[in-house]
Parts: sequence; C-alpha cells; structure tokens
Amino acid sequence: MPITNDFDVIIIGGGITGAGTARDCAMRGLKVLLIERHDIATGATGRNHGLLHSGARYAVKDSESAEECIRENKILRSIASNCIEDTGGLFITLPEDEESGYGLDYQKKFLEACNKAGIESRAISPSEARQMEPSVNPSLIGAVVVPDGSVDPFRLCAANVTDAALHGAKILVYTEFLDFIRQNDTILGVKVLDTRTGQTAEYRAPVTVNAAGIWGHGVAEKAGVHIGMYPAKGALLVFGHRVNNVVINRCRKSADGDILVPGDSVTVIGTTSTKVPFEECDHMEVTPDEVRLLLREGCALCPALASTRILRAYAGVRPLVADDSDPTGRSISRGIVCLDHETRDGVKGFVSITGGKLMTYRLMAELATDAVCRKLGVKQACTTADTPLPGSLDGRIETVSKRFEGKVSLGQKSAAGRQGDLVGKILFETEADKQLVCECENVTLAEIKYAVRELGVRNLQDLRRRTRVGMGTCQGTLCIRKAAKALAEALGDPSAADKLAADYLDERWKGMRAVGWGDTLREMEFMQRVYKFEKPYSYDEV
Amino acid sequence: MQERNISSNNFEQCQKCSLCETVCPVMKNNPDYAGPKRSGPDGERYRLKNGIFFDDSLKYCLNCKRCEVACPSGVRIADLIQQARIDFSHKAPKLRDIMLASTDQMGPVAGAFAPIVNFTLGLSPVKGVLDFALGIDHRRTLPKYSSETFVHWFKKNAASKQASFRKQVSYFHGCYANYNYPQLGKDFVAVMNAFGFGVQLLENERCCGVAKIANGMIPAATRDAHANMEAFRKSVAQGLDIVTVSTTCTMTLMEEYPELLKVDNSDVKDHISLVEQFLYKAIASGAVKPVWKEGWKARAAYHCPCHQERLGLGIFTVELLKMIPGMQLTELDSNCCGIAGTYGFKKENFKVSQMIGKALFDDIAAAAPEFVACECETCKWQIEMSTGVPVKNPVSILAEALDLEKTSELNRA
Amino acid sequence: MMKFDVVIIGGGLAGMTAATELQKSGVRCAVVSEGLSLHNPSTREFKAAGGTLLNGDSVTGGEFEEGRLASVRTAKLGDVTLEAETFILATGKYFSKGIVADMDRVYEPLFGLDVQYDSDRSTWFDPSFAAPQRFLEFGVEVRDGKAVKDGEVIRNLYPIGEVVYGISSAQGDTTGQIRQSALDAVQAIRRI
Repeated sequence: MPITNDFDVIIIGGGITGAGTARDCAMRGLKVLLIERHDIATGATGRNHGLLHSGARYAVKDSESAEECIRENKILRSIASNCIEDTGGLFITLPEDEESGYGLDYQKKFLEACNKAGIESRAISPSEARQMEPSVNPSLIGAVVVPDGSVDPFRLCAANVTDAALHGAKILVYTEFLDFIRQNDTILGVKVLDTRTGQTAEYRAPVTVNAAGIWGHGVAEKAGVHIGMYPAKGALLVFGHRVNNVVINRCRKSADGDILVPGDSVTVIGTTSTKVPFEECDHMEVTPDEVRLLLREGCALCPALASTRILRAYAGVRPLVADDSDPTGRSISRGIVCLDHETRDGVKGFVSITGGKLMTYRLMAELATDAVCRKLGVKQACTTADTPLPGSLDGRIETVSKRFEGKVSLGQKSAAGRQGDLVGKILFETEADKQLVCECENVTLAEIKYAVRELGVRNLQDLRRRTRVGMGTCQGTLCIRKAAKALAEALGDPSAADKLAADYLDERWKGMRAVGWGDTLREMEFMQRVYKFEKPYSYDEV
Repeated sequence: MQERNISSNNFEQCQKCSLCETVCPVMKNNPDYAGPKRSGPDGERYRLKNGIFFDDSLKYCLNCKRCEVACPSGVRIADLIQQARIDFSHKAPKLRDIMLASTDQMGPVAGAFAPIVNFTLGLSPVKGVLDFALGIDHRRTLPKYSSETFVHWFKKNAASKQASFRKQVSYFHGCYANYNYPQLGKDFVAVMNAFGFGVQLLENERCCGVAKIANGMIPAATRDAHANMEAFRKSVAQGLDIVTVSTTCTMTLMEEYPELLKVDNSDVKDHISLVEQFLYKAIASGAVKPVWKEGWKARAAYHCPCHQERLGLGIFTVELLKMIPGMQLTELDSNCCGIAGTYGFKKENFKVSQMIGKALFDDIAAAAPEFVACECETCKWQIEMSTGVPVKNPVSILAEALDLEKTSELNRA
Repeated sequence: MMKFDVVIIGGGLAGMTAATELQKSGVRCAVVSEGLSLHNPSTREFKAAGGTLLNGDSVTGGEFEEGRLASVRTAKLGDVTLEAETFILATGKYFSKGIVADMDRVYEPLFGLDVQYDSDRSTWFDPSFAAPQRFLEFGVEVRDGKAVKDGEVIRNLYPIGEVVYGISSAQGDTTGQIRQSALDAVQAIRRI
C-alpha cells in the first residue's frame, strides 16, 4: 500500500464546505489533499435551492444567522460574480396569513428585524410587487423587497476546487474515506479507496478536516467521537423554464415549500423537511406526498406553477447538528459548528466543520482553516473574502462574450454564462467544435472537451454539473447519445459511450419518475422510444 | 393556461421531438437559421433568463406556421419567434421594409400613378436601383398596382345595388384585392350577389397589419388592429358577419391580433369567416343553391397555403371545389411556396425563397394542371413567377364555373 | 355538418393505414390529423384516392346516441361537425395525447373512454431505464375490437394502434402490430 506523507492537511468531502476549506488552506500556503468519494458537489451542495439568502428568512428568529448571511451575501457577490445572479427577492404576505398570525403586523416585525440585521429591505405595495414579478400570486396583501439572489452551487463548488488546485492542492475525486490512521489519541491520516480502480492507499497529514456533510457523522464515529447529527431530507421540484425572475418567499415562520428560486434556465421550489434514517441518505426518493405538498405551497407563491411542467424532483440531506450545550441533544444548532476534537473529545489532529449553509460556506471554511492553522502554528490571515474566484474576475455574460471573435453564437454566449472569464480556455478550433451537443442548454462540443481537459470530468453526471448538459426540457432525450460519444472520445475510450449513457439515463429517470405524469410522462415515453426503438421515426421523405 | 406567467406561452410542453424541424422550409435551405425548435422553445428558455440570448437569425423565420401545424404538443412556435423579434430586436426597420410593409400607404400613392409605377417597376434599371438601394431582389416580379382600386369601383358600380338583397355580409377585402387585383373583389361581389347576399364595405377598413408585424412595425400594426376591430364590432352590432378572401389577412385577424398584438378579438372572432368556409356551409346546409355552367370543365391542382393549413380551413376550399361537376382536382402535397408575404421580396432571402418553393414547383409541373387553385395572393405571385402556371383564387373559379344568372334567380326566391 | 362513411381520428401510422385501405375500397373517409399529417408520403395515396384530410385540425369531443358515436367536433371547424357511420380512434399514447396521465389517473381525453391502467402509481415505472416500463402498456379498453365507455361497448368506435392497451412502440419495433390492428378494424368495418 503506497503511503504518502507530505500534506499539511487532509480534507474529507468535496462538497462546498470541503472545497472552500481546501481553497482557504491552500491560499494560506498549506499543502492540501482533498478526498471525495464521488464527484464534487454531489451531496447537499448540489441538492438545494441555489438560493443566495439575504438572511431575511432568519431575521426574526435568529439574528446571528441573519447577520452572517447578509455579510456572506455581499462577499459572494464580489468574489463569485459568475456563480451568482442578482435577482432580488420578495417576501410576500397572503390573505390567509392574517388568520395564522403572520399578517401585516408580522411584516412590520419582519422589516424591523431585517433592518436591524443590516439587510436592506423595504415594504412595497401589492401592485408594485406584481409589477416587479408578474408571476407572483396576485392576491398578495403585502411584500418586502430584500437582496436575495440565486447561486449556482455546482459552479461555486467547481470554482473553489479549481482555485485550490491552482494554489497547489491535490484533489482526489472518486476516492472514498475508509478509516483513519491513528496512533493512540492522535489522527495521523486516512486510508482511502479509489472507487474506480478498487485500489486502496494511505495519506498522512498532521491535521484532518471532516467536511463530509451528513456523512461526517459516520466519519467522526470512525475517529471514536460522536457528533449528534440528524439527517433532514429536503425535497425540491424543478420546473421547465423560468417562471419568475425574482426570488419569491413567504413572509411567515419558515415552512415547507415556501421559497421559489429562478436559477439558470429553470425555477426551483422547495423545500420539505423530514428527518430520515442515516441508511436512506444515499438513496433518496421523492414521495408523491412531498410532490403534492410542494406544488400546493408553490402555487400559493405563484399560481402559474399549477400548469407549468415539472422537469424532475430531487432531494438532499441537510446535516442538522445537535447543540453541544444541550445535554438532551434535542435542540438543533442552526449556525456553523466547528469542532476541535482535541479540546472537545481529546482526539488530536482532527477538526469537524458542519452545520451552516451553502451561503456561509466561505465563513465555515475560514473557521475550519483558522482551527487547522492554530494546530499547525501557521499565522497566515484569511484572504478568501477579498479574492475573486476563477471565472468570476468578470462575471457578466455581456462582457465575457466579447472575448470571442466575430459573431458570437448561442453556444458561446451560454458557455460564457457558465464558465465566466475562463471561457477563453474553450477552444473552437473546428466547425464540429461549434456544433451544439445539448440543444436545450446550448452546450457545444468545445465546452465538453474543455470540461474533460480542465474540470476533471469522468462521466456524464460530472459533465452535467460542469456544463448543464442534459439538464433541459428533454432531460437528455435528444443529446445523451451524442454527449456520451463526445465524452467517451474526449476521455480516450470510445467504447465506453454506451455505459456512460446508460448510467446517465438511470439517473435522469429517477428524477422524472417522481413527477411522471402530464408532459413529463410524455417526455418519458418519448425517451423510451428514442432509446429502445432503433428507428423511432422515419423522416426520410417529409 | 398560464396567464400570469412571465411567458404567456406554455412552451415547455415541447418534447424536443423535432417534428417542427422536419417541416420547416427555411431550415432545410438556409444554414444560418437555427430552426423552429431552437429559435422558439429552446431559445425562449434562455431569453427569459437574459435578453442577450436573443439571436439575430430569428429574422430568417418566414412565419409560415408550418411548425405549429406539425407540433404534436400545441406549442405556438412561430408566435414565440415573432414575439421574441418584437421584444428583443431593437433595430429600426429599414426603409425597404417599411415600403414593403406599408401595403395600404404605398397602395394609394402607387395606385394614382399606376401606369407609371408599373412601367418603372418593370424596367430593369429601376429594379436594379431597388435591388441596390433598398434590397428588393431584382429578379422579383413586383406586384402590379391597379389604376382603379376595388373600393372606388365598388362605390361607383356596385354599392347602390347591394341594399336590395335580403341577406347582408360585410366584406374585408384586404389590401391585395383593393390595390393590386380588384378583379378578385369584383368576383367576390358577383358570387355573393348570385347567392343572394348583399355586400357591404366595413367602415374604414385598414390593412390587417401582417406585413407590418413581419417587419417589426408593431405600434403601427396595433393601431390598424384596433381600427379594424372597431369596424368589425360595428358590423356585428348591425347583424352582419364579416367575410374575408385573403388567408393571411384572416389568420392575422383571428390569431395574431390576440397572440402577438394583444388586441382582444374574442367578441367578434366567431363572426369572421373565409369566403370558402362561408359558402361551403351555406351550400351544405341547403341555405343557398348553386347552378353550375353546363359544360364547364377544368383540370386544377389545389395548393393549400401555409396559413390556410394553420387555420385548418383548407378542407372547405377542397370540398367546395369538389362540388363543381366539371372540376378535376388534384390536391398537391403540403409544401411552402417560399414567398411568405414580403419575405421573398428581400434580396437576402430570394435564393432561399426559391429553394424552398422547389418541391411545390416540381409537384405542380408533374400534375400539369390548367391552373392552380389557391386562396393566397402572395403564393400566387410566387407560383406564377416560378412555374408560369396561372393561379386562380377559388372565388374567381366559382365566378367562372357558376351560372351566375341562374344561381341568382334560384336564390332570389 | 359534413358526412362521411368513416371518420378516422389521428393521422399516424395506424390511422393512415386504415384510412387508405378503406378509401381505396370505396369507403368515403375523412382523417382528422394534427402533427404528423404533414408527413406527405403517407397522406399522398389517401388524398389521391379521394379521401378528405383535415390537416392541422384535432377532434375535441363528440356526441353519443344509443351506444354509438354520432358525430365529432373539431378545434378548427367551429359549428361544423363531422358525422359518420363508423369512427376509428387512432390517437396514439401519451406523446400524441391519445391517453393522458395526471397525478392520480390515466384517462382518454376526447370521449372519456374506459382506460386500463394501474391506479397504484408505484407500479408504473421500473427504476432501471432499460427495463420494461409498466406505464407504457396502459391504453383504452377494447372489446370485440370496439371501445368501451362507462362499461358499455360503443358499437361504431374502433380503437387501433397505440391508444389500445398493450400496444406501445416505445418498447421496440411494433410497426407490424400497429399495422395489423388497423387492418383488423378495416376488416370488421368492411363486413358491416
């Protein structure tokens, strides 16, 4: 078994927290190894709303979280402009909210709390709200404008990983944590499994960071420490196109299905919240009841959802953490939880970073890196709040698109939107490079080649997270054969195309099954026909 | 439907089956055009996100609506494309486009000097100037302007007789019958009168606006639409249904007013019908009876204009023509002739326009008819220019095939 | 009102096969067809034989009288209905909206015909994309070649092709099966 011993810190988990921590550690000059059992952003990072919270949601109940959010909101706008869209947000009050005690009186309280937390917000009239967002429930009785936005978590995670690598970090995806290497009360490193080759390996470092989200519970157990975590499943629905251009929230106590976020070319409603057993975390299915609930609540925010096609459903698991200060373990900590297991449990060389939210990943990473640095005696200050991420030096599609010569094609504009100022690395050398592989999301062959070359893509799911290939209306019906062929060729193994396509179709199928009726079912029938019928239609002589 | 959506069209019903691409006449012939699926529903998803995704190539869409007829999901693909052009194309229309589009404003000017205009339009150097300066293709035979408009003729020769009929209809003649081909209007009046219907002009009929829509002159088209709706309402209030002869005008009044110009027509829509639809229903129900000329014979081929196909009303023309005893009718395959109103007149479109029409021209050549029956005036220009086979409007065919006097006697009772 | 011997609803493979066979044997047919009807080669023979093609139109409903379908309405013809002795339903499956699934049920949208399906949604799909999928079998019930509505046989309405329970081209090449179901209906109608 090969043993590699030259890292300062090992980070377990390639979600946004691990990616952010890897970046921060690398920027402070540490030698970093990040291990991730799947691809980056496959857990809760890629399975949420993609909401850039203003913090307003927490303002009334948890001013600390609210202040944290608005601070990070402003930071992300400046360092991750390519991953963020400044949509603005509305908190609306509906007539029925009066009855449940969340009427306009509550709105006043809400406004005060927002302003106190430093969240710029103002009440507007129902007609102003309808004008600002025509799809909003027209029967609303009040609305508050807040600086919400949307964030692309895949892009954000990829940008952090890319920047970590640029600062010397080693990134190992498809590398599963098996166990710790430990000597008495000290963690010396990790044993890992390369899930594609089946080979195991050991890596050593003076500090290991557990950033594995809900799976961090199991990671901690291996170190003999207990973190009281609860998996809370959150189900979400993706609609076929943008129904709203402004985030719509319900101005009341946080509840199921009360946030509607426009993200990239779609709209997402979420979320539910159900405690589930740990065994279910790897196999989440969205139930019919969850779909019904989300639709009902979604329609209250935006009635047009009732007749909008649902592309698919998905669910993520939030890592809820029991508050250490409560011996019963019943109260849940809402904020960031950074545990130094040496002081807490007497286990040296081990830090856990959990809780928090996508929004506050950078702060979580800063806290975790501070803990690592303390252990290593490194005194470098954190600079992640002031240093733009790769791709975000100039995030506007309009300006980035200008980097192409001549007439800019839709594929190029779309690539500019996704890859930001890194778009120059996409090489349109031949006519074929300009051809669209995915027509729903305007993904060119050149962008696929770029993703394989520079973004560590191994399969179609990885490719989807980097380029949106197959995420559009047809869910891959028309493009997956083409994409699989292009990817297999770019990976240097053309024979792998069928297997790549089959795996991807199973994954798409899962999300579609949960909402398999209406136009989605029509698409499912068409998808089956395209892949199972050799000659689906004869167009020869139209 | 999603009235409150930021997009009023349920376009995500699109399943990406790509049938629209197989029937799009432009896509086959112009590689610069991305086709209906990508320009319509695919493009719309991205345009909703950011207007920068509007692509200039949408101008190549000729709005034939064949994609909409083909779509098994009911997506209004062509409307999506036209709407995007209205919303995002901020280029001012060129002088050439304004001239081609302003059929009712150019009409009166040109009509007054018709012999001169027709003469000069026919001269090669003049066409060359149009070609160079305006981008109107010099190979085009431009529509001729008549020296006497239909309306002028009607007021002088026919208006006074109309009151004597028990039944009355309003006639939406359109710009073509008025300025370019008054004979069509005269035929209409003759046929309607023979069946016992008096014909009334609408109060202040304006151009339907289709050419203005196609050339991005939306405010002007909307003004026309409102004026026409007012005229229709007055007519309906007097108990007069509106009968039209032009397919494209009819599609514009019925479909484009509410969908693109957001001019509500729901209160009068059911009172508007194409003349073939109107007459078929009248004859089939026994309300009127035709007497056909003895010994009249013709071998004709029917070309269903794209917009007629979109309206779904071609069947009335076919069934009406099949009633004529001496008619030997071939139904041509469904194809676009390539002109699409003002589209084919533009220099940049000429070649594509002719390539699109080729399948139809070949089909006509194979059928070798005496004439082509077709409701659409711009199809007529294109087919006549490209095949040399004359094209007759079904109303004119009826005017020929009917024994007008005997029909008139029979229906007077 | 327009009167024909047979009105065929749907101009796909099944509908055009039946219509062309019938029209060529002198039965006056009308085909109401949206979408695929722009497919010229399949309609050419039918039109040449004198058949009536309602291109780009769609049936929106019908009138039943004493166990038979008397007439149908279409989207484009307004108050003009289509009457016939016999009707053929060839509207296909979900994709062409011959049957429609909503969250709780599967139904036939034009006439409310009886549809065979499983009300337990959990049986509709196999998690593996490549496996056979139960939902693709669903379709209208057929008894003696005829449609059923509220448990009663509609004696002049013949469903053919993919709208029928058990026939689906999405599970492999079923061209032969679809064509055969059309020809069976043609045989039955010719016997009348």
